[in-house]
Amino acid sequence: MVRVKTQTEPHRTGPARAVLVLGAGAAALAGAVLLSLVMGSRPTPLPEVWAVFTGGADPFVATVVESRYPRTLLGVVAGAALALAGTLMQGITRNPLADPGLLGVNAGAAAAVVTATALFGSTSVAGTVWWAMPGALAAGLAAYTVGSRGGDGGMVRLVLAGAVVSAVLTAYVQAVALSLPETFESYRYWVVGSLGGRGYDVVWSVLPVIGVGTALALLVCGGLNALALGEEAAIATGANTLWTRSAGLIAGTMLAAGATAAAGPIAFVGLAVPHVVRALIGVDFRLQVPFALLVGPTLLLAADVVGRTIVRPTELMVGVVTAFVGAPVLLYAVRRMRSTS
Amino acid sequence: MTRTTPSSPKAAPRTRAGEPPGRAAASSPPVLRLGPVALPVHPRSLLWAAVLLLFLAAAAAATLSTGDLGVPLTRLPAVVAGAGEATETFVLERLRGPRLTVAVGTGAALGLAGALFQSVTRNPLGSPDVIGLGAGAGAGAAFAALVLPGVVPVPLGALAGAALAMVVVATATGTGLRHPGRLIVAGIGVAAMAQAFTHFVVSVMARDQASILSAYVNGSLGARSWEHALTIWAVLILVLPLVAALAGPVTVNEMGDELADALGARAAPTRTAAVAVSVVLSAAAVSVAGPIAFVSLTAPQIARRLSTAPGPNLALSALVGALLLVAADLVVQQSPVGDGLPVGIFTMAFGGVYLGYLLVREWRRGVL
Repeated sequence: MVRVKTQTEPHRTGPARAVLVLGAGAAALAGAVLLSLVMGSRPTPLPEVWAVFTGGADPFVATVVESRYPRTLLGVVAGAALALAGTLMQGITRNPLADPGLLGVNAGAAAAVVTATALFGSTSVAGTVWWAMPGALAAGLAAYTVGSRGGDGGMVRLVLAGAVVSAVLTAYVQAVALSLPETFESYRYWVVGSLGGRGYDVVWSVLPVIGVGTALALLVCGGLNALALGEEAAIATGANTLWTRSAGLIAGTMLAAGATAAAGPIAFVGLAVPHVVRALIGVDFRLQVPFALLVGPTLLLAADVVGRTIVRPTELMVGVVTAFVGAPVLLYAVRRMRSTS
Repeated sequence: MTRTTPSSPKAAPRTRAGEPPGRAAASSPPVLRLGPVALPVHPRSLLWAAVLLLFLAAAAAATLSTGDLGVPLTRLPAVVAGAGEATETFVLERLRGPRLTVAVGTGAALGLAGALFQSVTRNPLGSPDVIGLGAGAGAGAAFAALVLPGVVPVPLGALAGAALAMVVVATATGTGLRHPGRLIVAGIGVAAMAQAFTHFVVSVMARDQASILSAYVNGSLGARSWEHALTIWAVLILVLPLVAALAGPVTVNEMGDELADALGARAAPTRTAAVAVSVVLSAAAVSVAGPIAFVSLTAPQIARRLSTAPGPNLALSALVGALLLVAADLVVQQSPVGDGLPVGIFTMAFGGVYLGYLLVREWRRGVL
């Protein structure tokens, strides 16, 4: 995030503006983290939460607030992963409608996790991550193969193919989860996408996968800029488009699979965040990627806070809230397609 | 399927893909005349209608007679006549009977709704369940049933939800119902929002009971009563005259707005009426069985392939829809695979595969 300052800017976003926007993004993320610790299905006033941080608080309140730590951490990790996966996919496919949720990648990861759990019993999340990745990759490739048949098919095909893959896999996931209720007791909320009820172990077990995916994403930023010019122009500038595409695809799969294994198939974060990011910081992927790392967690944590408070004393799963917030972005993007397709 | 040369070159690009518009003209069917009414008779459609009715009767008999509680076929007439044992009467009158009646009516309504909608959008994918009408109706039904119980009847809530979804989709595309691809993508977004709203309503009102949620999100035929059967059949019978009146103009409409106007079928009012009837039928189906996926999509497609008659094949679509839903419900009830799952999950899995096939086929033809 700091290295942004040293870059020469090919696009209109000046360094001063970039620093300003990134700073605002960091502040928003800090605010979302704080909100996530303070707000919950049991209200805890700010002074009490502060007392927990400094020590010497009521042990009951301390337990409540501390139970929000892993949840908040998971929100940051999963939000960053989903946002980054969406940015990569929109960059690689040059399609503003691409999203790991809409393209069936998350559903593929979920189907693989559910299969593994049904066959081998309730294994740890650490084990399921390794199942999630081939599932995510297979579903993404299936959607991409069907959706890009016959050359340049426009943006709609990919989404339709993804919708088909998602529908079939979601039906499978729900069928398995409903048929084996005792195996999937702890997965009930996960099937819709939820940050609640998961411990530190879940975060630690997906962190390596998401970390490697993030590093890979940072490596291909420049290549994505070249790719945005179009295949031929990118090759003409000397860019290695095959490397960019395959590394980006692997990174996106790792990120989406890691997030799904931990928090369930959450859609629309990967769709909405890149649109917000482009509107605020421009089209340079070297700025988009770090900014998406700030906006994604902010959005997911904010959605989770809304889900926790809106239906007190129960909770609304975060996947439900992101669908309600993110689907309008899809409608907006469809409306803007008028000139292009 | 063979493709014949369209009769009007100007209308050709606007005609639905793969449906030979010239077929009717090529072999003019025999016509049934009843005073002032003249109905074209398609022997192939009649034959298939008879076959489908037979299959439907077989599936219905299997629904009533298989399983632990099933009433044996030989005993059915006696039980229907009121001479059965208490258990048999209970199974027929309380469990399987209403469920089967609802399944037949809902399947027929979904098939009809899909046939009308696909026909007037000239888009095989422009089906109420694909473009979010079903999910919208489900959200409306959940709202009426859980938030305003007794204030707003559930079918009315479903109707409001479906109509709202329809308006949002048509507004979001910016081009109304014309552009097939945009229509569907907007439908995906609207369906996601509607499902999220259903989740919200169920978690607030029903304290997050998984079975209730699943019925409202996926669609289920479990625990249906005669009240549900009455709702769906009353709506079906009420809109039947409208559907019959629309059959002719809708068929002409498939040849393109200009040609339809020239032939006196008045494209725009026909489309509005057909969409309205389709929304009412979808809402009625959803209000009794939840948003069951992909029956609206597949039934008219299958009917078209069976019949080869021009137009939306309304009667065949209704029969195929009823057969599909009764068969799917039979699998869910009796097979070890189904194992009491909501029938909507089953139709979603198989309808999804079919949708994928349809997409690939349409793209190979350069449509969309």
